[in-house]
Amino acid sequence: MSDEAPFRSGLVTALPIAMGYFPIAFAFGVAATGAGLSAVEAFALSLIIYAGASQFLALALITSGAPLLVAAFTLIAMNLRHVLYGPALLKSAGDAASTRHAWAWAWGLTDEVFGAALGEIARGRRFSEPFMFGLGLGAYVSWLAGTVVGALAGGGALAGWPTVQAGLDFMLPALFLSLLLSILTRPQVPVIAVAGLATVAGTLAVSGTAGILAGMIAGAVAGTLRRGRA
Amino acid sequence: MSLHILILALMVGAANWAFRYGPTRLSRGAGQGTGPLARFLSATGPAAIATLVVASLLPMALAAQVVPLIAGVASVVALWLWRRSVVIATLGGSLAYALATMSGTF
Repeated sequence: MSDEAPFRSGLVTALPIAMGYFPIAFAFGVAATGAGLSAVEAFALSLIIYAGASQFLALALITSGAPLLVAAFTLIAMNLRHVLYGPALLKSAGDAASTRHAWAWAWGLTDEVFGAALGEIARGRRFSEPFMFGLGLGAYVSWLAGTVVGALAGGGALAGWPTVQAGLDFMLPALFLSLLLSILTRPQVPVIAVAGLATVAGTLAVSGTAGILAGMIAGAVAGTLRRGRA
Repeated sequence: MSLHILILALMVGAANWAFRYGPTRLSRGAGQGTGPLARFLSATGPAAIATLVVASLLPMALAAQVVPLIAGVASVVALWLWRRSVVIATLGGSLAYALATMSGTF
């Protein structure tokens, strides 16, 4: 089989992801310009960070005036879960696993792309790097396009559409909640409970930024101190 | 373009690339096992996401947007259990929240 076919298959497999990514990225573009960022800055965040939940949080941290290192630490900690995706994917690929061009295709290993790739392998598809390129590229292009359209529409674009605005306002919590459900396992329930309680306490006692830091640190510490299998 | 935003994006983007690519080169067993590092790696993601769920929902709960909030959260959970798709759950939950908000304005 040539390298073109798996690449095209990857693009086709990316279609549902791309259809879902576009409106979320559109919401990000609108939110970014609404928060005072330029269209170029919104596009740069999508191009360089390429992690939806992190990008929305970045807006909150930037507009709240959080120090650079605090903001960076918070955003980086949030994406630490991605270290597990590559090894898990390669393990499921078995003998077909290849990492010659992983420096490029691994950039596209978002939650959804990882899930889709894993699902395809589970359904019998042989792992190939061109497939991963196609899958990742389709999702990435959709994310960038959605951001550009949203940013160009502008922060006030939805002023006359309060229902649409409400839906976009809820998109971030919905994305976070969906991601939490997607990684939820019984052993992590105590970690999640500790993180949630610490976030509420920190937010009510000090500030939203303090609550976020308290939740992440308390949850990670609780997980590290926990005995037994991770 | 703000230098602050560019530096933040580059720091986070570099870390994201390292998180996604690095483990494919280092070891296919990275993050596995039961040692403190494995437990830390395993806990950090859920802790971060749980924190952000609470941090994003708390202002809505404090603002007494209860009915749309319940509709949105319940829809996300229901759609996730049904389709196991982050995208579908996110979009469906947002739609339910918007419809509940709209119905409350009439």
